[in-house]
Parts: sequence; structure tokens; C-alpha cells
Amino acid sequence: MPLSHRTIQKLGRYRDLSIEGFERDTVFALYRQMLRLRRTEEALHAEYHPADEMRCPIHFCIGQEAIPAALSLHLEPEDYLFSHHRSHGYYFAKGAPLRELFAEIYGRATGANGGKAGSQDISHSASRFYSGAILAGAVSIAVGAAFGLKHQKSRQVAVSGFGEGATDEGAFWEAINYAGKARLPILFVIENNRYATFSDQLKRQKRDNICQRVKPFGVRSTQIFGNDAPLAWRTLRAEMDRLRDGDGPALVEAYTYRWNSHVGPEDDGANNYRSAAEIQFWKDNCPLVLLGEALEAAGMLDAAAREQLERETADEISENFRFAKESPFPDDTNWHAMNHEDATPLADQLLGSASSAGAFDQNQAEARLGPY
Amino acid sequence: MAPGKSTTPVTRQLGYANAILEATDQAMSLCDKVVVLGQLVDTQSGIFGTTTGLVKKYGKKRVQDFPVAENLMTATAMGAALTGLRPLICHQRLDFMIYSLDAIANWLALWRFKSNGKSAMPVTIRTIVGKGWGQGPQHSKSLHAWFAHLPGLRVAIPATAYDAKGLLLESLLGESPTIFVEGRGLYSMTDDVPEAPYRVRFGEAVIRRPGTDLTLVAIGHFVPPALQAAATLEKEGVSVEVVDPRTLNPLDRRTICDSAFKTGRLLVADPGWLSFGAAAEIVATVAENLGNRLKSKPARITLPDSHTPMSMALEPRYYPDAERIAAAIRQTLAG
Repeated sequence: MPLSHRTIQKLGRYRDLSIEGFERDTVFALYRQMLRLRRTEEALHAEYHPADEMRCPIHFCIGQEAIPAALSLHLEPEDYLFSHHRSHGYYFAKGAPLRELFAEIYGRATGANGGKAGSQDISHSASRFYSGAILAGAVSIAVGAAFGLKHQKSRQVAVSGFGEGATDEGAFWEAINYAGKARLPILFVIENNRYATFSDQLKRQKRDNICQRVKPFGVRSTQIFGNDAPLAWRTLRAEMDRLRDGDGPALVEAYTYRWNSHVGPEDDGANNYRSAAEIQFWKDNCPLVLLGEALEAAGMLDAAAREQLERETADEISENFRFAKESPFPDDTNWHAMNHEDATPLADQLLGSASSAGAFDQNQAEARLGPY
Repeated sequence: MAPGKSTTPVTRQLGYANAILEATDQAMSLCDKVVVLGQLVDTQSGIFGTTTGLVKKYGKKRVQDFPVAENLMTATAMGAALTGLRPLICHQRLDFMIYSLDAIANWLALWRFKSNGKSAMPVTIRTIVGKGWGQGPQHSKSLHAWFAHLPGLRVAIPATAYDAKGLLLESLLGESPTIFVEGRGLYSMTDDVPEAPYRVRFGEAVIRRPGTDLTLVAIGHFVPPALQAAATLEKEGVSVEVVDPRTLNPLDRRTICDSAFKTGRLLVADPGWLSFGAAAEIVATVAENLGNRLKSKPARITLPDSHTPMSMALEPRYYPDAERIAAAIRQTLAG
């Protein structure tokens, strides 16, 4: 039976998580990555008010750690990752430096983007990570990266992470159509958390069957319970291996849930868009708890190891806060230089040394008047 | 020209469309990262002759037809640029390009800014503005002012074959996202164009005709009638200086202001709508810099604030011609 948010909730507590066949290092790393992301988000969430030093919209991803953690173990430095506004998990997944994320949110010069982008527009070019707030726009650009990779016969892949809200937009379907037609090495990862802000998917779409709808375009698709981190790891691994072999594109729809409000630390429950029982169901199926229990049962995670992980993570987070808060604010107001690249190194090289360069002045300012 | 460097360039008469084709061909030959995407770019007709033959010479990988998905096409060019390519995309009519405003206004224009200068976007968007023969309101919009309004984009609006070739080479081998606005009405006009690749820089206006009595700033396909009007006025003993900005972002404000300071009078001929347009920006720039040193009120001659009529009876009344520009010059001189 196809998965959907309605069918999942009828299942109660998730019982299918299995680490059988996994190496201890892999599942432990999965757990560690989820814990780092969870604690980081919790710390930012707690610090946001009343300190009020992070002055930009932040879309927290607490509850949605499994997919970023699994991706973080599969993505290679030369792969491309594009994210929507709920960006921290993906930033983390691409291995971009977390202290630059903190500094960016604090609006500091040392931030990933010098304090110009903030949480919902953050990028880290050296890590080939990019994000943006206008949903399917980033999906479309990811298609372009896949186009470029295929054009250059690269084995790298482009991964596009977004929510089911982006699939409302026409731009998403343009992307699906072309990715399928051109057989591009792109992995679309939908974290279906049911709501576009406060609007249920079924208020916006006739059916919650995105996986079925992309197949006729030539995009193979898989649905998974998105809080099962080992399952996410296996599914994404298989798809990315196929993409690297030239067998693309693919889409994975991971059913998951955000515990917090759509944006910021304030409670948006007054909008009455979801029930307490629904929130409780997803908290009962916390991806960290599900994997943690399996690790404990297998003797791979004991109290001492857990304590050590927590301590390392807490140290990392407090160091990231310190870095951000001690960093200077940006002071550059050269608006032109911020927005425009005036240097033209390639044109200087190619046009300045063309074979007939001596024949006339290539920097000639005066156009010749032709007969009109 | 640098002294001692100048020799006679190897030039010949070349049409505007052929100049665009030649610039694309030469850029692709100089740099294998240049790729061309667009609807029907791989056909024999090749976007009114501007891409004809490229697919044969450079192959299907570098010259690709694209679905009628303008937003995705722009985004594809952006993503491809991140992998090191230098895409050129083409819109047969600017009106279709409006589907790509999300990619342009929300992503392309601000990409460098929000990366804090760490990520460049060498993407060139060619877009053709129709004129005449009943193009009507969905085939003739010239929205150069929209694009010039956006920080982060370069906007070229060449009026001659020489400029079209030089500016397109400068765009394709430069590092910035560029909107390249072409007048369909200019396609058949010929010009003296060097055979070798060369550069026309952004932000460098050209004085197409020197004069002393009035500065006529003319943009895009209004340049030819502006020059004709200046020739008419010369017979009446009036010396008109015609300035072609060639690019709107960056805009060569200095050349325009210097000319207006010299002549003391300003008329701007802009093939866009009157309100909130490029002409308004140029008049404002001159007013801010010269103020009451002008000898008469500055003026604009533009399209009316109306969509384009199809009928052959109304088209000539919608588009100002040389005669109406000449009349506007006389009026500015009078007052």
C-alpha cells in the first residue's frame, strides 16, 4: 500500500527499523550525525529568544534529521546539493562548516555568506551547497547542475532537497519533465512533512501521490518512512550509485515531520492546522529514538558512548556560538562590488590574445556608423 | 585608440543577425565551455539566422533545443554555470522570457550578492523584441528597464552590428549574468564589423554623432531614427549630439552628463514605455548632476503608456519615427 501521512499514522509506533547487515561504524555515524543536527537545532532554538541576536527567519528542522544524516554519509565533496529554506540539515549534510552557519545567522562577517544571506538563503560555494527560499527555484537550478555534470561526463551527482510544498509549483514540473527527458544525474529528495506552512497537502493537491505522478516523466521514485535512518541510508545509497552509473534521474519521497512551527521558535499552534495526537505520533517516532533503541539492543550504544557523544556535541555547539558571537559585524557598504563582478579574466585572456589582436584596437570605444 | 597600436582593421559589411551569429561562433571556438540552449536553436532557420549552422559545427551537446519551459531553461543555465559552463540562452520573443522572472529576479540577479562574492554566474540571456507587422501586445514588449532595475544584472541593448558582436563576446566570456536585448527591427541592418573577435565594454556609451546644440540620448532600435532626425536637423542649422548608452546596467552616466553639460539640452529617445522607464532614469541623472545649468527643460520621447496595437493603422502612431523625434528636438530647443 502506498505511504501517505494518513496511512502512516494508523500504523502507530514504527517497528520496522532494522540495522541488520550494517557495519557498526555506519549506523553509529548515522546516529552521531542525527544527534549533532538535533542538538544544534535545539541550541539555536533555545538561544533565539530572549537573546534576539539571531535576527533572520529560521526554519528549524527538528524531527527531520534522518535524511540529512543519511545524505551526509553519501555525498562526495564534488557533488552538488541544493536546498530549500529549511536549510540547516542540508548545509550540515554537505559537510559545510557549522561555525560559518552560526556566524551567518548572527549576521557576522565570518558567516558563510558574510551575513548577507541568513538561514534561508545560505550557501557554501566551496562545499557546493546552495539554498534559497523560493521553493522550486532551487530544484530547477539543481537540474542545471545535473545538466552540467552530464555534459562534462562527470560521475558526480546533483541532489535537490525540498518539501512537498514545492511540488505545487509549475517550476517543479518543468524540472521533472526535463530531468526525465534528458536522463540527468539528479536525485530529488522530498521530505514530505505534510504542510506548506499551515496548509495540508490535500488542501492543495488532489492526491498525495507525487511518486506515482513523476513516473510517467521518466523519473523513477521510491517512498520511504523518512524517520527510519538506516532505511534512508540504504535507499539513498542505492539511488546515488545508480545515478553515478548514468542511470538517472530518481526521486525519493521521505515521509517525515517537523516538530516545531513553520518558522522561528514561536508556537504556531493557534492556527489549529494539526492535532496534538499527530504531533505526539511523530515525537513517538523520533528518528533518534528509533535508531538509538536499535543500537542499544545490538550493544552498539551504551550510556558511556552516549554521554561522550553528547559532550562532544555540546562542546562543538558552544564553540560555534563563541565563534559567531565574537566575530565582527560586516562593515562593507560597497554596494556595487557586492552585486557586480567587474573583473573579466577570461575575456582578458581570450580576447586580448586573439590572433588578429594587432589588426585593430579591441577596446575601441567608437562604434562605426552603418547605413540605416 | 592607443597611439601606435592602431592599424586598419579587417572589416566588412555585416548584418546585425550575422554579427550575433559570428560572436557566438567565435566565443564557442575560443572557449569550449560556451553552450547554447534555446527553443529551435538547432534548426536551419536558427532564431532568425543567429544560430544557424552552430549545431553542425559544434555538435548537439553544445547546441541544444530546449522544452518550452522558460523558467527551467534559465535555471538550467544557472546550474550549468555552477559546474563551469558558460551558457547562452535565447528567447525568440522577450514576452516568453517573462515566465523566467523567478529564475532571473529571485536567483540569477542576486546569486553573486548572496554568495558574498564567492560564486559567479556567467549566464547570457539573449532576448528579442519584436516590432511592426502586427506583432501586437505579446510579441513586442521591451522590458529593458525592468531588468536594468535589478541590481546584479548587466543589460546590453546594442543598436549596431558592431556593438552586437562586441557586447555578446564580452557577455559570453565575462563573469556576470547578462540580459542581451535585441531589436528585431535592427536585424537586417548592416554595419562595418571587424572579422576578428573584439570587445565592447559594458558601461561605455558611444557618441554616434557629435553636436553642440542638443544631446539626444537614443536607446536600442530608436538609435537609427534618432540619427536620421539629427541629419534632418543639421539641414536646419541645428547640431545634435547623439549618444548611445549601449548598456543600461551599468549606465555610462558620465558620458551622458558630459554631453548634456556641453550642449545644455537633453532629449531621451527610449523604445520603452514613458512611465518609470530608462528615459526617466537618464533625465533624473542629468537633472541631479546639472540641475538649472540646462538651457531648456529636458524631454523624453518614448512609447506611449499603452500596450502595442496590432493594426497597421495604429503601429506608426505608436512607434515614434525620425520625423517625430525631429519634432521633439525642435520643441526641446524652443523651450
